Amino acid sequence: MSTHTTAPTGGTAAGVPGGIPGGTLGLAGGALLLGVLPFLAGNAYLEHLLVLWMLYALLALSLNIIIGYLGELSFGHAAFVGVGAYTSAILSTQLGLPPLIGLPLAGIVAALFGLVIGYAALRVVGPQFAILTLGFGSILYTVTNHWVDLTRGPMGISNIPPLSLGPITFAEARETYYLVLALVLIVAFLCHALVNSRTGRAFIAVRENAPLAASLGVNVFHTKLLGFVVATAIAGVGGAIYAHYIKVITPDIMGVHNVAALIIVVVVGGRGTIAGPILGALVYIGLLESLRVAGPLRMVVFAALLTGTVVFLPGGLVSLWSRWRGPRHAEGGAK
Amino acid sequence: MDVTVFAQQIANGLVNGMAYVLIATGLTLVFGVLRIVNFAHGEFYMLGAYLTYFAGTLLGLDYITAALLGAVVVAALGVAANKLIFWPLRRDHEFTILLSSLGLALLIANSGELLFGADPKYVESPFADEVLDIGTVTLTQQRVLVFGAAVAVLVAVYLFIRYSRFGKMMRATAQNPDGAALTGINIGLVHSYTFALACGLAALSGALVGPTVMIFPTIGNWAVLKGFIVVIMGGLGSVTGALFAGLLLGVIESLGGGYISLGFMEAIGYAMIIAVLLWRPNGLFSTARGLR
Repeated sequence: MSTHTTAPTGGTAAGVPGGIPGGTLGLAGGALLLGVLPFLAGNAYLEHLLVLWMLYALLALSLNIIIGYLGELSFGHAAFVGVGAYTSAILSTQLGLPPLIGLPLAGIVAALFGLVIGYAALRVVGPQFAILTLGFGSILYTVTNHWVDLTRGPMGISNIPPLSLGPITFAEARETYYLVLALVLIVAFLCHALVNSRTGRAFIAVRENAPLAASLGVNVFHTKLLGFVVATAIAGVGGAIYAHYIKVITPDIMGVHNVAALIIVVVVGGRGTIAGPILGALVYIGLLESLRVAGPLRMVVFAALLTGTVVFLPGGLVSLWSRWRGPRHAEGGAK
Repeated sequence: MDVTVFAQQIANGLVNGMAYVLIATGLTLVFGVLRIVNFAHGEFYMLGAYLTYFAGTLLGLDYITAALLGAVVVAALGVAANKLIFWPLRRDHEFTILLSSLGLALLIANSGELLFGADPKYVESPFADEVLDIGTVTLTQQRVLVFGAAVAVLVAVYLFIRYSRFGKMMRATAQNPDGAALTGINIGLVHSYTFALACGLAALSGALVGPTVMIFPTIGNWAVLKGFIVVIMGGLGSVTGALFAGLLLGVIESLGGGYISLGFMEAIGYAMIIAVLLWRPNGLFSTARGLR
């Protein structure tokens, strides 16, 4: 899936080719470009969009572990983002804990939820799993919405303090951008390392043929549970950063819209690749902002985009690259 | 525990449950025959409620005619959706189908918001304000109608699947599509009619429940979630399972809402499926492939 060879990309906006040997130059170029982007952006609004892009890229990369590598569709991922966001927000506003401690705790709490929910839901596969995760997501949403004593219900939590690390406070877009960018690069690298590791090969084997993988000694249930828990932990951390950056969270963060958004990002970008979710997040945030005037029509566009991608471009946008390269290679450079 | 209150809760639960059964029957038929998990099913429920509303306000039709017209129009829309999206994808991976049905759901829900506006509406029904006393239990006539119409429709659907020629073709397709095609069954036609039946049931359910609640363009989410819970609990593809699971969910939600907490009522329903699935991962009534 992600092992097709491509030449260095020369640093496109999302130039982090997934698991490609020989793409190191493109990778470095892409990372460098991502690093200087805030200076090119020039104004606070664009910098804010860059932060949102990276946040969605981080969340999409975590969902991609489930959709792309485990081959299961989770409709409850936004709930774990919400669990992370609420954990860190509650710890910092009600207990006065420094957000830096809240951040890993958000990941741990989200992972614990992931462990329990995954343990129950991963007994079934395919559509049933997708529906079960939707049900679990709805439970978490309903509880968050009604447990007013803890979460303030639909009013949400406001005045969440920004993250700080020693003398650095991540209050502004630019600092937050670098923090999230670093996390995206780390997670991207981990995904890359994962795909090439024994565990990652077990993931792929389970995705392609679970009974065969089981017959080769892979514990299918444990493998899937591991992937699910890791994905939910990353989602929790991403949610916590979102909460400290935006400073206000409501139960809507767990809602159906956010679930659909994350799935759209992963599928439109290209599931099972590393560049895909990052590119998909760019497309999503770009369209979200440029179509802001269109109002409700926006979601219609996204829905059409999702359906269109699934039907006409199952590999997502990143597969355009290999599609475009493919024929020219085959014909020996002839037009 | 007060017996009157308890009986009232049970009656309310059975009425809600019957509406769930109506939604879930369509979902389970589509899954059984077409092997499609249709996320857009709830949107046909929403369309049914809205078309009934507009047929009543704009065309000035009476409630019953408006509801039937709504169901027929939505059934036709369902056929169109099947022809445009699901039929061309029938040989594709289940992921593709699941994701495209999610896309369709978002498309219909947001187009609905665009066309109908986001503000809630009330479906007018002559039965909504009339009260009927059955023993100690008090129900509005509309809620009695929900229950009665749902029972009648479900019996008709059951007899149709069981004894009609077309029902036999549906069951044959559910058991083995290739084998059914070999014996001369027009699979495309079976798919179309099954979709029409399922969407018509969803729309009818929307038209029946509409007058008892507010309607807004996002109720499809709610409907499909309830439908899925029932279908998963009963076993995908099982009509009998949908009946028992739907009534069970309705009653448990009603009792949970009455005796524990109204706010957490929904969560209690979801918690129930999880308990069931830990015990029977494929649902209460799951057996081999086919319609039951």
